[in-house]
Amino acid sequence: MNDDKTVMKAWTKAQSRLGRRQAMPVVLLGLATAATAVGQVWCVANVLAYVLVGGGQSAVTWPLAGLVVLALIRAVLQMGSDMLAARAGMKARARLRGGVLDAILRGGPGLLRRHHTGELAALAVDRIEALDGFFARWLPASVLWVAAPLVIGVLAALVQPGSALIMAICGIAVPFGQALFGIGAAVASRNQFLAMTRLQARFLDRVRGIATIVLSGRTDDETRRLAAAAEELRLRTMKVLRVAFLSSASIDCAMVVALVLVALRNGAQLMALHDQGVPATLMAAHVARGLFVVLLVPEFFAPFRSLALAYQDRAHASGAAAAMRILPDAATVRTAGQTVCETGQGVSVAFEHVGFTWDPARGATLDDVTFTVPAGQTLVLCGPSGSGKSTVIEMLLGFIQPEIGRITFNGVDMATILPEALVAMTSWIGQKPVLFAGTLRENILFARPDATDAQLQAAIRAAAADTFIATLPHGLDTLIGEGGFGLSGGQAQRVAIARAFLKDAPLLLLDEPTSHLDPQTEADVFDSLRALAAHRTVILASHSAAVDGFGGQRVDLDHGRIVTSGENAS
Amino acid sequence: MKSSENREFARQARREGVMGPVLQILHIWQRRAPLLTAGALLSLLAVLIGLVLMREAGMRVAAMTMGMIVVTTGALRIFGSARVILRYTERLVTHDAMFRALADVRVWFFRNLARGAAAGLGFRRAGDLLSRLVSDVETLDGLYLRIIIPLLGACLVLPFLFIAINMVNTVLAVVVAGLFACSAFGLPLVAAMLGRREGGLVNHASAQLRIGVLDMVGGLREIATFGAEGRMLAHVRDRDDALYRAQMKQARMLAMSGAASYLCGQAAVLVVLAAALGIGLPHIAPLPAAAVLFLTVAAFESVGGLTRAGALAGSITQAAARVVAVSDMPEHAPPEGTEPAPAGTDICFDHVSFRWDANRAPVLDDLSLSIPAGQRIAVLGPSGAGKSTLAALLLKAVAPQGGCITLGGRDIATIRDEDLRRRIAWLSQATHLFADTIRANLLLGRPDATEADLWTALEQARVADVVRELPEGLDSWLGEGGASLSGGQGRRLALARVLLSRAPILILDEPATGLDARTEQEFLQTLNDVTQGRTVILIAHRLTGIEKLDMVWRISGGKMVSAR
Repeated sequence: MNDDKTVMKAWTKAQSRLGRRQAMPVVLLGLATAATAVGQVWCVANVLAYVLVGGGQSAVTWPLAGLVVLALIRAVLQMGSDMLAARAGMKARARLRGGVLDAILRGGPGLLRRHHTGELAALAVDRIEALDGFFARWLPASVLWVAAPLVIGVLAALVQPGSALIMAICGIAVPFGQALFGIGAAVASRNQFLAMTRLQARFLDRVRGIATIVLSGRTDDETRRLAAAAEELRLRTMKVLRVAFLSSASIDCAMVVALVLVALRNGAQLMALHDQGVPATLMAAHVARGLFVVLLVPEFFAPFRSLALAYQDRAHASGAAAAMRILPDAATVRTAGQTVCETGQGVSVAFEHVGFTWDPARGATLDDVTFTVPAGQTLVLCGPSGSGKSTVIEMLLGFIQPEIGRITFNGVDMATILPEALVAMTSWIGQKPVLFAGTLRENILFARPDATDAQLQAAIRAAAADTFIATLPHGLDTLIGEGGFGLSGGQAQRVAIARAFLKDAPLLLLDEPTSHLDPQTEADVFDSLRALAAHRTVILASHSAAVDGFGGQRVDLDHGRIVTSGENAS
Repeated sequence: MKSSENREFARQARREGVMGPVLQILHIWQRRAPLLTAGALLSLLAVLIGLVLMREAGMRVAAMTMGMIVVTTGALRIFGSARVILRYTERLVTHDAMFRALADVRVWFFRNLARGAAAGLGFRRAGDLLSRLVSDVETLDGLYLRIIIPLLGACLVLPFLFIAINMVNTVLAVVVAGLFACSAFGLPLVAAMLGRREGGLVNHASAQLRIGVLDMVGGLREIATFGAEGRMLAHVRDRDDALYRAQMKQARMLAMSGAASYLCGQAAVLVVLAAALGIGLPHIAPLPAAAVLFLTVAAFESVGGLTRAGALAGSITQAAARVVAVSDMPEHAPPEGTEPAPAGTDICFDHVSFRWDANRAPVLDDLSLSIPAGQRIAVLGPSGAGKSTLAALLLKAVAPQGGCITLGGRDIATIRDEDLRRRIAWLSQATHLFADTIRANLLLGRPDATEADLWTALEQARVADVVRELPEGLDSWLGEGGASLSGGQGRRLALARVLLSRAPILILDEPATGLDARTEQEFLQTLNDVTQGRTVILIAHRLTGIEKLDMVWRISGGKMVSAR
């Protein structure tokens, strides 16, 4: 747990460093706004002093004009700072999201073994969106709450050093007091925030599984439990907010104290001047100064308030840091091979004493597996689920590497082959192909974006997908995937076969391609797969009886060991 | 006349389109009305005290500078500390009331989702649409805290401001109150109208990004095998950029409305100063001038956030509309029954017809089927033939368009949903494992099951060994979607949950998916033993020959055909 904390701290620190650079313009505009505010206060104080105690008429025209100009300048500065802050937030999010997407792609399908699709998508979309406030508000505020009061304090000191000192002391009292009462620490408390996130996740989980709850007849029980969880969420949130509000209240208190002290001090001075009976012009100058420092007090404390408002944004950062840890490090990039493997005469595949273990507690997944598939031949992998069939396919796809032994393609160790060359030589069809949101055409062309229309049509015919495509409302341009037309399991598998035809790779890997299909469709799909298998090296993992017609060599796996091997009935 | 009536009607419909959902949310909050009102009153009191305090402060500062009074800070101090305390309590109470109200919305949302849409969900709706709804509930907090409370405050401040200044000068009162109304009501309204479009664009862009990312994550295998990393990344980046463009537009609008609101306040300050100097406006006395100036500043400060809130009102009302839409009954939803379930468990489908969509062919067409209590049947057929629809109809997830279904001789449409569903245990492809302990997941099937019952069910589902090997056994926590187990193991756990239930009718929709041939055989053997005396409806696309069945049916052309 302690380790977690250091990792998270390091992450927040690194992000702060990166984000601060982007926040610099916002900070500068914030300082300019503070300076403008001082100017405005000066103008108002002068006009008010003239109104109250009189003086030359000329004394007010300039401040009045200045007030108009400064108000316009401040509006523009404020607008600029708002927009720059939004931009800083966007830049940071773009950078972080790019990193997360890269890491997901680098982690590859292995990530899906440990994490839900929804979880990874939420990390890349929602978690990063929630970080906007950290970069757009918290980072500038965390600099400005020191810098802006400093600017205001220095300018006040030029007019009345004593009042500036009062403001400074009250200002310094705020963080000291908060540290003393542990307010800052309590608000930023990670535990509180993580508990809140967990409760929110629970609600989401229950909503996702609502059909299961309803159809088990447990709606009332779960509603009651949900109400209890929502109540707990409220209590926890209020705990955090209570300290946050206390922190704001402490700022208000400090401001009231400063205001009263500065007013008292000036009141006493002015009273003394009145008693001495100084002339009106001199009096006006004194009054103007007094009003200036009094009116400056709220401006002095405004940056403190912004910081208090941004506390929540900071808490989001530690939550996100914790969530990011599921992603692989940039440092764990494996060394890529350099060899180009010649595939003009097809590809022969050989496993040489390969061993692999997912989880030491459950024993080896693959243990001393050896087989050879000559170019253009077929190998059928059989065995119960968990026997290691999928692991063999994953290794051939390069998603995992053998811990013991090696795999060769045409006699070349797979580990030394250029990754691009590996991708080019293999096609893969799994249990359920993923159809992306888009047209059917885009989905098939996914295999080879530069294919000509003739090649596309040939692949569709070869996969026997043309018959069902003809029945679709817009043919090849029908939208499928999320929010589009739903294809049946058999139709989706035909799209996958068309992709494989289009790619035309010499090695074909099939991982239970028909396990979700009914017998009639399964037989039809196997017909197309047989056509696809011609003149290619094929490795097919399946526990269906229909593979008997596939021919080739057969290897039976059990608990990661080869139990029998021989010719498949054909 | 007619056309103006029409226009009026259209306008009203449009208004209802925006306000309807918001009113419905307020209706859900009714139970919290006292607390919400108390929060609002406290907030108004805080605003009022703030105004009085500032007016007083202005007067005193002015009097002091003119040497008219010896400054006493007693009153200021009392007002000042009262204001700090009030602000603190007000924020506590309003936020507490808000979170209670949000908790109510959550519960209401869940109950309605369960009652109406749940049915369709298990069979059709996607989980990610739901995640968006969850964040919509959270968005609703802005409705009370950022819109209703400040608007009420503004409604109070406006007359106060007018009356206080009117005591000094009427013209000035009209001008300042006008500027205030512009800042508190006019600009937020304009921002809300503009913001609806911008907010819609941002929502659309973020939905597109979400789809892109989900495609990328779900298709990691496809991407890796086709070497499409670069293409996919570029595709998602495009959508990301589109989101930022939409957000930048929104940010620009927010910044401009913020500036406009600020300038309104500054204009008011200038007008007051001009009046104090007697330029362009009737001259006013110095002492009230200072009081009015301070009051004006405080009044405009209290509504400073409204323009921004107005710009975000669009997304709040849209969130409200989506949340409220949950209570709309889906088109096939059956009515809620009132009768208890009868003792008998004979099932009879009597000339049942059903189609999901009027444009598509009927899934079930005049189908009749009788399943006496205790009978074990299988329903076969290719995917899409209507096997799962049969389960949906029996569970009252959807209502048939023709014919009726009876349980123990009573039409299920008249039976209370919860009673009906407690008599039927259902295992489907979509059965969800909750992010909870294994024990809690199993107890969903039968809350009063003993430890021994749990282990028996696990044994029967052939998953006891896996659970025993876990370090915390039954108390092991399952990740989201049961991620720490493999797909097949998760299915078997869901099966254990079904076996645990005492329901006299079991519907098993492809229970052996994800099991290998040998485990499947063992499992079906067990199924024969443990379901003795219960009605079993086995939905499958093929049989292995081990199942002990009384009848085998095949769905073909929307009708039942005996397959034996």
